[in-house]
Order: sequence, then C-alpha cells, then structure tokens
Amino acid sequence: MIVFLARRLVFMLLTMLAVSIILFAMLEVNVESIAVRVLGAYSTDTQREIWLEANGYLRPIYVRYIEWLGNFLVGDFGESTRFNTRVADILWPRLGNTGLLALFTFGIMIPISLTLGVFAGMREGSRTDRSITFLSVITTSVPEFASAVLLSFIFVFWLGLLPGTSGFTDGFSLREMILPVMVLIIYDFGYVARMTRASMAEVMQSPYIRTAVLKGLPYRRVVMRHALRNALIAPFTVIVLQINWLLSGVIVVEYFFAYKGFGALLLEAALNNDVDLIQACAMIAVIVAVGTQTIADIGYTYLNPRIRFT
Amino acid sequence: MDKKELASVHVALPNLVEQLEKGRTTRRDFLRTSTLLGLSATAAYGIAGKITGEHFVAPARAQQGTPGGTVRISMNVMELSDPSLADWSQKSNIYRAVNEPLAKIGADNITRPYLAERWEANDDLTAWTFHLRQNATWSNGDAFIADDVVANIEKWLDEAHGSSNYSRFSSLEGAEAIDDHTVRFNLSSPDLAVPESLGDYPALIVHRDFWNNGGSFLDNPGTGPFQMSDYSVAERATLAQRTDAPWWGGDVLLGGIDIIDHGDDPSAYLAALASGQVDLLYEISADQVAAVRGMEDLELYETVTGQTGVARFHVTSPPFDDPRVRRAIRACIDHDVLLELAFQNLGTPGEDHHVAPIHPEYAELPRPQQDYDLARSLLAEAGYADGLDIEINCVAQPTWEPNTCQVIAEMLRPAGINLNVNILPGGTYWDRWTDWPFGFTSWTHRPLGVQVLNLAYRTGVPWNETNYSNPEFDALLDQANATLDLEARRAITEQLEQIIQNDSIIIQPYWRAIHTASNRNINGFQLQPAREFDFPVWSMSSS
Repeated sequence: MIVFLARRLVFMLLTMLAVSIILFAMLEVNVESIAVRVLGAYSTDTQREIWLEANGYLRPIYVRYIEWLGNFLVGDFGESTRFNTRVADILWPRLGNTGLLALFTFGIMIPISLTLGVFAGMREGSRTDRSITFLSVITTSVPEFASAVLLSFIFVFWLGLLPGTSGFTDGFSLREMILPVMVLIIYDFGYVARMTRASMAEVMQSPYIRTAVLKGLPYRRVVMRHALRNALIAPFTVIVLQINWLLSGVIVVEYFFAYKGFGALLLEAALNNDVDLIQACAMIAVIVAVGTQTIADIGYTYLNPRIRFT
Repeated sequence: MDKKELASVHVALPNLVEQLEKGRTTRRDFLRTSTLLGLSATAAYGIAGKITGEHFVAPARAQQGTPGGTVRISMNVMELSDPSLADWSQKSNIYRAVNEPLAKIGADNITRPYLAERWEANDDLTAWTFHLRQNATWSNGDAFIADDVVANIEKWLDEAHGSSNYSRFSSLEGAEAIDDHTVRFNLSSPDLAVPESLGDYPALIVHRDFWNNGGSFLDNPGTGPFQMSDYSVAERATLAQRTDAPWWGGDVLLGGIDIIDHGDDPSAYLAALASGQVDLLYEISADQVAAVRGMEDLELYETVTGQTGVARFHVTSPPFDDPRVRRAIRACIDHDVLLELAFQNLGTPGEDHHVAPIHPEYAELPRPQQDYDLARSLLAEAGYADGLDIEINCVAQPTWEPNTCQVIAEMLRPAGINLNVNILPGGTYWDRWTDWPFGFTSWTHRPLGVQVLNLAYRTGVPWNETNYSNPEFDALLDQANATLDLEARRAITEQLEQIIQNDSIIIQPYWRAIHTASNRNINGFQLQPAREFDFPVWSMSSS
C-alpha cells in the first residue's frame, strides 16, 4: 500500500511538473500579448517595449520559468492583470465559492441518485426501473445551458419567483443558490443514478445474493447488508470523479448565473489572457484532477478487498 | 449677443450665426460648433431658439425623484488604476463619478464645457485657451487649478506612460498655465477637435500630485460629486456622495451608485434586471431588444451612434495589396441586407468610408451597390478567375462582430471568393489587431468625423490598422482639421470619403444603434452614444 501511495505521489508530481512546463511555454512565449493586456489594445509598440523591459519579460524563458516555479511552490502565484491583484487573493475565494456550490449539489444529488439507482437496480426491468431509467436518460441528455435557460425562463422571467443571477453581492443567499444547484443536479443525477442502477443490478444477479434469498433471509436485509456495499463500489469512483467535473466543468452554469466561482474565473482568465491566473487555475485543476483520481483509487481498494497492490 | 460680442469669443461665430439664420446649417450643427468654439451652452441654445423660434433648453438636471436614492447598475467592474490609461468605457464610467473632464459630450453628441467653464481658440486653431471653474475643489480640500491640467497634459504626452491620449492629442505640443484658472494648449498643427478629444473617456483630470501619490485612482482625490467606498474587481464598486465639501455643480439627488459585475453573459444582465437585482444595465445586445420590448416593466433606450465595425484590408499584405481584389470584395456587399441579417436592422447602412450620417461634416455619397459581375471581372483581371481563398479574423464577443463576418462570407461566395471566418478570443485578436491581413475591428463613437479619420487612416499613426498611406488624403485631412466653416469642411470631407471608397480599404457594414434597459425608477438617464454615464443628473424614484 505504501509503495502504491508513493507511486501515486510521484506520478502526481511528475504530471504537475509536465503540465507546468507546457503551460508556461504556451502562455509566456508570446510576451507581446501580456503587454497588450496590461497597457490596452490601443497602446503603441514603443509603449509595450518599455513595459516589457521594465517588468523583466525580455529575459530568457527558462529563467522566468524557474522563478515562476519557485514562487508557485511557496504559494505566490503572481499578479492577475485582469483583477490587478495577487492571484492568490482572487483564486482561493473563488475556489471556496465553487466548493460551496459543489457541497449543495452533492448534498442533494448523491442521496437522490443513489436511492433512485438502488431502487431501479433492485428490480431490474420493473416499472420503477424503467421510469427511473427514462427520467435519468432525459435529464442527462439536456445540456446545462439548455436547462439553465429553461429554468431561468420559468422561475425568473415568467413566475418571478427567483433571482436571475447568483453573485451573492449582498452576502450568501439561499434563493440565489437554487437555480445553479438545480441545473447541476438535473444534469448529473441521472448519470450517477444509472451507474448505481447498473452496479446494483449486477450485484443482485450474483450467486451469493441468490443464495441469501433462497436461505430465506428477509429481502430488505439481503439488500442492506449484502448487496449495497458491493453495489456502491462503482458509484463511489464515479462520485469522486465528479468533484473534478464540479471544479472546472461547471463553467457554463457559473457563467450563465454570474456565479463567482472557479469555473467562471478560469474562463475569465482565458478570455482576458491573464497569464498568471490561467497558470494558477490550470495547476489547481490538475492538482484536483490527479488528487481525486488518487482518492478514488485508494477508496476503491478499501471498498474492494479483492484488489491487491504489489 | 451682438456680432462684436460673438467675435470676441471666436472670430468664426458671427458667420456661424449667419449660416443658421440662412438655414445653411442645422440647429444641432450650430449648437455643436458654437459650443466647440467656446460659446456657453446657455448662450448657444438661446441664440438657436431666437433664430428658429423654437424653445430649446439645454439638458437639465432631473427634477424628480427621492434625494439619496442609490442606483444599482449591472456593468463590468474592471481594474481601476489611472483614468488616463482607461481602455474601456466601463472603467471610465466609474472614474467619471470621481474625476471629471474639462469638456463633456452629451447624449445629443454635443460637446459642452464642464471643468472648464469656457474656452476660445485662436484664428488658425493652433492655440486653445481654457478658462477653468473657480469653484471646483478636490475632495482633499485643494482648489482645482491650472497646474492640475498642466500636470495631466504632461503625463499624457509622455509616451512611456502608455495613455491612448498620447495618440489622441498628437498635435498637442504642451500646455501652460496662464494664471491659476487659465490654461493654454499649444498645437503643432490646427485641430478643431481639441474640446471633443478632451471629452473622450480617457481624458479625465486627476489631481496634480496623482502620480507622486502612487498613481492610483483609489488613493487620490477627485473633483466629482462621488467618492469610492467599496471596490472589488469583477464583483462590485460602490460609490457614495462626497462629504468633505459641496460639489461645484450644486446638489446631486443621487445618493449612491452600486455597480455589480455579472460577468460577460448578456443573458445574466437581463435576468438580473428582470428579477429586480439591478435598476439599469450598461448594455443589452441587439438580440435582446425584442425581448425587452415585450417586458412592460422595463424601459428600453436606443440611440443612433457613430459606433461601427470595419472589415479592413491591410493594404500592404497580399492579396489585399491589389486594389482590384479589394474592390471585388467590396462589390459583393449589400449593406442593407448585411444590416438586416447581422444586426436586426437596428442601425444605418454603412458606406465604406467611416464618416457617419450623425457627424456634422458628413457628406452623402452614392450608396455602394452589390455588383457580382463587376466583382468577377475584377477578380479575373487580378488573376483570380478560378476563385480566391481568404481569411478574416474577428473576436468572438460581442456576437454582432462574428455574425457580420459570417454574412460577409456568404455574400462573397457567389463571386467565387471563399472567406474563412477565424473567430478568436478578444485577447488574441487585440494582440495583433493592426497586423491581421484582413480583420474586423470595432470602433467606438466619436463626435466628429475627422477624429476617426485622423486616428485610423492618416499615414503612420499607431492605430492605422489598414497600413494605408496616401499623401493626398493626409493633405486634405490637414485642411479639414483647420476648417471651421462647416460647409467648407463638408466639401473637404466629401473628397476624403470618396478617396477611402475609391481605394477600397474597408468594408464598413453599418452604423450601430446601441441599446440598454432599465426599470422605471430612474429619472434623468439618457443613453449617450459612447455609453458615458452622467450620474449628477440622475435620481431615483422612491418605488
């Protein structure tokens, strides 16, 4: 297990190092664009040249990379040209906001999708199974931007029940949280429910479950004590990997509802050529992606003792 | 005022009054030019009213509303540093509540004195004298004096500072304080647009010690009626009325300004307005106009502007270095259809010369016509009888820009021209906006036609994105810059327009009408062509 963890850690570090080099090379080769971003599109070539010289951008790229990496490791992510402040000052609050969104989404979605998935998988082919499967397929097929527009039309423009944006400009508001969370749940619950259903259905077909039933154990006890733990192994992996999706895959929802989260920040950074911010966001996204993958692997090992690492 | 008094303000004023009397100039053109020459807005409106028999009043302050109300606006809150470095009007709208210009361009496209209470120019327009308001004070208690203006001009003219004012005032050699409240601008060549340029959004006046005191807007005083109370980039900016001393302009009904950033998605702005989270939007897109018209609780604002976009050729890059290719491409364009398909007919068709019908010196030319036979024969002559593959670069947002390029591509197809529309993120496009062989660039409104021609088409100027160089054009432009008489300037402008059309350096699809929306609680708001907010004249109703 220790060897496995050490391997994963080394793999994580190598992945992050490789991504950092690629990112830096892609973003900082064209230093002209950085000057344009800071001085404005209408600045003259001479003005840009003066600015680049004054800010050390005319030094060799490897010197700048080593300097950037050193600063990144001690938590100094540089300056955001878009926000005119330290990247760390804007990054952590935005990450926190997305974490809050993820918390609400998971808090509601996981119990719903697991329950529906287990119910559907318990009696494969039943009316309940077909209904839940149909609902899951429909909701998962509707992209986030479409459900966002539809829900916004109904609850904001037509019924006038909910606020149209979720910027929390006057502090946290549960009403402002409803629409983005609803959109994310509608999009994602079907996926998790179907994975749970498939896993549950497979387990319910297993010889040991059939044996337990034939032994005369109550059906409820068979499901709760024998089927559920094994049926949750596959959904567990899927759920952990959804953390990665909720971090950077919710750009559409955050953008649509003006939610000040990590996804919207990444988009803003990219659209505004905010080099330091793009680098920091991308590195955080990689850390989360590799981190959740590692957690999923470890969790899978714990839940399924048949898997052994050498 | 009699002729002698008028001549004492500027030698050209008596002639201008005579033109109005004889119906050779319009009321609007008279107001614009007379105020530009230093006549007070009150006197100009009075003379116009007396001659035409109509009662004209200068835009007045909002007389209704509850004192102390706060307006909530949905607008991008960008980084704020130095007003002279502003490159977006959203930034300058926040700056303008605190720092003010010497001249202000109104919603009627007329420039009026502001921090300068009047000005006059010498006969050949190479020296402009500005008389500053004596009752204006900075929010730190200092008096507003000529040294403030001189310090600003010196900074603008320092190329290393990076202000776009460096190009805007390219003919300005310097400014000198005559006394505490009089400044003279000395120019290397005549420029009739000095007051108009002083009303442009990066020309706000900051305190004389601004750059010694860190050079940040947030840490320095202003002369305006408001001061910043809270600010967070991309989230919110809150301003409250200044409390140290009364504002020079008198009482202001608006108690505060709350600007909320809802990102870049236009649907989020509209949702915020519809659900009562804000009172006013900075803008709505053309696609949203019909939706707003359908909402009874909202007010829709529309104004005709000199805002446009140009599909411009880099005339030294092949194949656009061949005038026949450029003419062939232009010959494929039907401007009316382009306006209808790409911008919902919310504007005026363009004429490919970048002078707008609302510019005072605009001269009407025969409208460009779509002619595919001409296009094909020109292409064949240029060696492209079998067709031509070209690419245009444009930004992804706002959507009217790529939409326009797509329609142009469809219009070129029947002539055998295959136009690939390369849609880029804004940052990528603007990195090289003057270098693209074929690019689509948006241009903001400017009150005078010659201002844009000077910025974009004169030989060697930094914003000459076509790389166009024509000594005849430059000489005529010099002449236009020095010509006050509107009829004479219009005659010169006609030649300038004709040259640009003949040389086919741009396709200018249309002039955009701009739009925004508010709830019905705001009084005094007018949509200015460059989207500049005039907070002191606004107020809020109690409900």
